[in-house]
Amino acid sequence: MTMRWSREAVIGAALASAYLLFTAVFWAYPFFWLAKLSVTQWRFFDEPVFTGARNLLLTVQDPQFLQALWNVVRFLGFYLPIAFGGALIVAFGLQHVGRGKAFVALCFLLSNVSSGVALSLVFAKVFSSTGPLNAMLFELAGVRVPWTNDPTLALLAIALVVAWKFVGYYGLILYSGLLAIPKEIYDAARLDHAGPWTRLMRITLPMMNPQLMMVLTFAILVSFGLFTEPFIITGGGPSDSTSTPQMMIYETAFRRLQPSHAAMMSILVALVTYALVQLARRLFERKVVLA
Amino acid sequence: MTSRRDALALALGGMALLAGCGGQRAERRTDRIQLWVAPNAAEESFWKVAVAKWNAAKLGLPVSFTTIPTAGNSEDTVLSALVAGTEPDLCTNIFSGFAMQLAALRQVADLASMPGYGPLLERRRMRTIMPGWTRGEQVVALPIYSSPTLIWWRADLLERHGLSAPPVTYDDVYRFCERYGVRQSRYGMQVLAGRDWRDRWFDFISFYYAASNGQPYLADNHALYDNAAGAQAAGFIERMFRQGWTAPDFDAEEPLVSGLAAGAVRGPWDIERFADIYPDTLARIAVGPMIAPVRSAGPGSTFSDSKGVVIFRSSHVQREAFAFLSWVLGEEALNLLWLQRTGLSPARDDLLTNPAFADYYRGNPLARAYADHVATARPPALSEHTIDIQKIMSARLVEPLMLGTTAPAAALADAVARTDRMLEVQG
Repeated sequence: MTMRWSREAVIGAALASAYLLFTAVFWAYPFFWLAKLSVTQWRFFDEPVFTGARNLLLTVQDPQFLQALWNVVRFLGFYLPIAFGGALIVAFGLQHVGRGKAFVALCFLLSNVSSGVALSLVFAKVFSSTGPLNAMLFELAGVRVPWTNDPTLALLAIALVVAWKFVGYYGLILYSGLLAIPKEIYDAARLDHAGPWTRLMRITLPMMNPQLMMVLTFAILVSFGLFTEPFIITGGGPSDSTSTPQMMIYETAFRRLQPSHAAMMSILVALVTYALVQLARRLFERKVVLA
Repeated sequence: MTSRRDALALALGGMALLAGCGGQRAERRTDRIQLWVAPNAAEESFWKVAVAKWNAAKLGLPVSFTTIPTAGNSEDTVLSALVAGTEPDLCTNIFSGFAMQLAALRQVADLASMPGYGPLLERRRMRTIMPGWTRGEQVVALPIYSSPTLIWWRADLLERHGLSAPPVTYDDVYRFCERYGVRQSRYGMQVLAGRDWRDRWFDFISFYYAASNGQPYLADNHALYDNAAGAQAAGFIERMFRQGWTAPDFDAEEPLVSGLAAGAVRGPWDIERFADIYPDTLARIAVGPMIAPVRSAGPGSTFSDSKGVVIFRSSHVQREAFAFLSWVLGEEALNLLWLQRTGLSPARDDLLTNPAFADYYRGNPLARAYADHVATARPPALSEHTIDIQKIMSARLVEPLMLGTTAPAAALADAVARTDRMLEVQG
């Protein structure tokens, strides 16, 4: 007995196969190759040799890699307040824009679609110890701030640049959350004599929890994926204070020519990222239900 | 309902799609030599002439060349080509550390074992230069040019502050900085070249070579710079920062143009750059030696930023490629042409004594200053771990000195200990 497919089934399979093929070639194959690399020793031109947990031990004992992971946590310490503060200002500001709202929103998105390399080169000059920002500060207050040469300030400078790039995007996400809050809830709160602060803390922010969680998740992903800005602005210095896991992975794979070691790093970074996102969800995610 | 024919057509279409994903190793040619050269107009124009002469004279297997097809850096492109099997027979623009990495990966041929290697060293007067490119008996890259690092000073600013010649010793620099420097707004000298691992060649390693008279900073998988010369170089960097005579970075502008700094380490490649962009400043530049604790009798040691050429092991025409290389490097007329086209000193030790180059250097005093140091300039340590060695140098030595967080002796000890530990782990 021969099995014959209906025409719809064949068309469906043909349409799905494009996606399945894409996934197999660009996701599944690299994923399994990465997993294989992480437990082997391979240097581009030879056959991978199984080495078990050697790469794992090398990676967890590598002080530079651990420092890079710690730098992400430090970066989040600067980035989250700046990004959330800026995004909330954008979202609340957009509520009060009358005409040209789409144009203003587009302007905020421009920084998001700008070339990371180009804007990093510009900011490297802006933040230079002899650059225009310091020249202005010296004129006004007689001081020069070591924006990119002090371990703490360098991370702050990078957080400012990255926040500048993403604040508009995050702001639009939060703005969509603001629009979804029914006006009647605010009217009811006013009848109960709730002031602006109470309305913000008891209505607006809790009702925006899905959008805030989305921004928090994006911010964590951005932080662990950080590469261009520190690579160009500080090169990971001073004293490795701005080196990031992505920089470590790139340099280990393509500068030190140790792709197996880099593969293990990337798996660990993915696991830590996932763990941090899950932790954030556990701590802050709330169900928003309008009865 | 769908027939078997439709299913077959779908399968064939899918296979045609996948066929494009297959590996595509280039067929290795044996009827001509393929050469990759540095992607810049000056070097390309030299190779155009040299290759045309070789091919016209029918001196060996014909050569075809192209620039390294790179949008970023040559190392990435060469590596990609090796993985894809599309590498040429010969490739220029290779720095010694990358050549050592390629050797560790068994991708480049040992040039010292090629017929005609010894005579080439004699013909090109390379005997004093080659020790820096030789490990054991093995030579994996031949230096094409050697660019010593020297210090450019604004002659007009020196004169205005009582110096008729560029500073030579640390004390000379300190005295000048006391007169010229204005805290937080004007600096005697740019001390640190930048943040990248490569920048250590143009600050600490240059200072170390000058202080140690060219002694190595790495040998037998051990860092050696925790010594008197290292302490002097580190002490110089530290004092310049503590006194406010230098800034942590000069990323915003070229400091020699505005006089933001009166001196800075520069290489011969900067001559053409300044001639194009800052000709007025170039006219006011005096080239001084790499500063050292004491004045040396002859040309002092400094760092040599050299690039070499390798022959890949996959080449089926290795000997023919080396014959071409020997001819290009050994011909005095071509060495002169290289000098005229690129302004970079060929890696030979007779540049100032050989009459073939006399006219060129008579008309180019800045280039002459560099040629004077070719024989005493030292290349980077031959190690496949160059990047890690210099990243540790940045993070544990130079940057703590800049920030003033660690004393020179402690920073040196820490950097050397970490380098040794890294080399031990990496094997």
